[in-house]
Amino acid sequence: MKKEDTVKLISSDGFEFIVDKEAAMVSQTIRNMLTSPGSFAERQHGEVTFPEISTTILEKICQYFYWHLEFASGKDREFPIEPELTLELMMAANYLHT
Amino acid sequence: MSYFGYENILSMGGACSRRQERDSEDSLSRGFSRKYCKSGSLKWWTSSFSYPSMDIRVQKGECSSLLDMCVQKISEDVDRHNTFSMLPRDISQQILNNLVYSRRLTGGSFEAFRDCALQDLYLGEYAGVDDSWMDVISSQGSSLLSVDLSGSDVTDFGLTYLKDCQSLMSLNLNYCDQISDHGLECISGLSNLTSLSFRRNDSISAQGLSAFSGLVNLVKLDLERCTGIHGGIVHLQGLTKLESLNMKWCNCITDSDMKPLSELTSLTSLEISCSKVTDFGINFLRGLQKLVLLNLEGCLVTSACLDSLAELPALSNLNLNRCNISDRGCEKFSRLEKLKVLNLGFNDIGDTCLVHLKAGMTKLESLNLDSCKIGDEGLVNLAGHKQLICLELSDTEVGNNGLEHLSGLSSLEKINLSFTVVSDSGLRKLCGLSSLKSLNLDAYQITDAGLAILTSLTSLTDLDLFGARITDVGTNYLKKFKNLRSLEICSGGLTDAGVKNIKELSSLMCLNLSQNSCLTDKTVELIAGLTSLVSLNLSNSRITSAGLQHLKTLKSLRSLTLESCRVTANDIKKFKSTHLPNLVSFRPE
Repeated sequence: MKKEDTVKLISSDGFEFIVDKEAAMVSQTIRNMLTSPGSFAERQHGEVTFPEISTTILEKICQYFYWHLEFASGKDREFPIEPELTLELMMAANYLHT
Repeated sequence: MSYFGYENILSMGGACSRRQERDSEDSLSRGFSRKYCKSGSLKWWTSSFSYPSMDIRVQKGECSSLLDMCVQKISEDVDRHNTFSMLPRDISQQILNNLVYSRRLTGGSFEAFRDCALQDLYLGEYAGVDDSWMDVISSQGSSLLSVDLSGSDVTDFGLTYLKDCQSLMSLNLNYCDQISDHGLECISGLSNLTSLSFRRNDSISAQGLSAFSGLVNLVKLDLERCTGIHGGIVHLQGLTKLESLNMKWCNCITDSDMKPLSELTSLTSLEISCSKVTDFGINFLRGLQKLVLLNLEGCLVTSACLDSLAELPALSNLNLNRCNISDRGCEKFSRLEKLKVLNLGFNDIGDTCLVHLKAGMTKLESLNLDSCKIGDEGLVNLAGHKQLICLELSDTEVGNNGLEHLSGLSSLEKINLSFTVVSDSGLRKLCGLSSLKSLNLDAYQITDAGLAILTSLTSLTDLDLFGARITDVGTNYLKKFKNLRSLEICSGGLTDAGVKNIKELSSLMCLNLSQNSCLTDKTVELIAGLTSLVSLNLSNSRITSAGLQHLKTLKSLRSLTLESCRVTANDIKKFKSTHLPNLVSFRPE
């Protein structure tokens, strides 16, 4: 995997997720960060920190990104959401425009 | 303006609290055939249950957003949550909308929405809403912009809670039997209200309307079927921003109630159908320079009121259905040059009147002459009305010769020829009307041969052949009408063999094949693939409860009528609970 095709997403507790850029850009917010001229740091380093999103939630978010890509390519599976995560996940999804 | 109402289905999403309700019911498609119990209009079945929050629905094949999935998940196990007040307002709003739409909201789960700063509470017709919900409603405080509590058990006491919701712009309290004048006092201080609706309330009196005098920002007021408000209209005098006033079926309203209306110069829409208003009362409306729509259906007015109406420069939509209009004085119609929509149904007018319509009304798009004494010669006067979109000629003396004059009306989208003397050979004149979407040929003398002539009308979406003598042979021609959304064939000539052709019409939403007593369970099996069906009527046939099982696939079905079949109410109830979640009306019940 080439570095420029990936992006590093960092949770509030410092955990790093390296995901395909294509997957991360499922989130409109991340897409904007990585493409808009105003956010130089994110674009240059291919790295985004989310001080408000915990590792558990960010992991789930990343899973959703890949689920979304699979769905788009015709795989219609259910995306499981654990009840105890729902509220926090929803807040994150809202922030990430996902 | 929506002529056929399908767009209601397509646009159910897009909830927005400040969105103006589309007032289409008085446009063109009023009054369908009354002679038999018909399946009712498609529009009703597809629009009247649409909650503003339908934007939750995910289009087939479209990927759900993670946010939507979470909202859905929370809605499914809402009892796990005690409060949503820490959520951003728009998210708690989405959760609430989802709960209302999916009917999962209860008085208990509603508690979790306390202090959520919600903007919209669409609880109209929602089961179980009463005063005990009002405290949570009130806790939204000044965030609250619109509330619909129609059909609830909320009482005058419950309305006292709304005092804290000073920002309220829209309030619907239709069909709330327990609200009276005292309740109105509670809302008299909500001066930001722009829209207020109190349909069908017998307890509100003239005195009660005095509570409205301070609602100076009101733009829209709906008092339909409020039967005790005579004498109270005077309290509305100061509402100079009022644009729309509905007093349909307020049969207490008289000429004296018209006088205060003359001050309401912002009015664009006034509905006083079935009131006691006469020509004298209409005089008071002369100053309403902005009035676009006037509904006088069932009022005691005569052609004499046309003088007053001619003074209204903006008037484009006039409903005079079931009034006392006659040919005498009808030359004044030629002065109503701006009219686009004119309903003259059930008046004592004949061909003479049409001469005057020809003279003045060059903008006419919709004309209703239902049950008037119009004949073939009168229709000559319509030949030049190229902009006509909708023409209602039901129960007139129109025959084949008259249709000749309509053959050039290239904009025509809707025509009703039911109970006329038009027969198969006359239909040739209609084949060139390529814009035609809705055709009513509910007449005994129409047969399969007539249908064969019409196959060029491929844009048809609604076809009513209720009493026409259509047999299995005729159904072969139906295959040409691929866009059909509504079809009625009820004269008894169909068998299962004919239904084979109907099963191809995959766009069908309303299907009425009642009175065809030869239809068996095979028919039900055949139409099981018509998954868009919203309304289905197979009354008076040999359908049994075994046949019912084939309907499992019709998940969109809201209305199912199987009177005089071998199906009991209990069969349907049981079937509904497991297979047809959207069914809201069924017979036998």
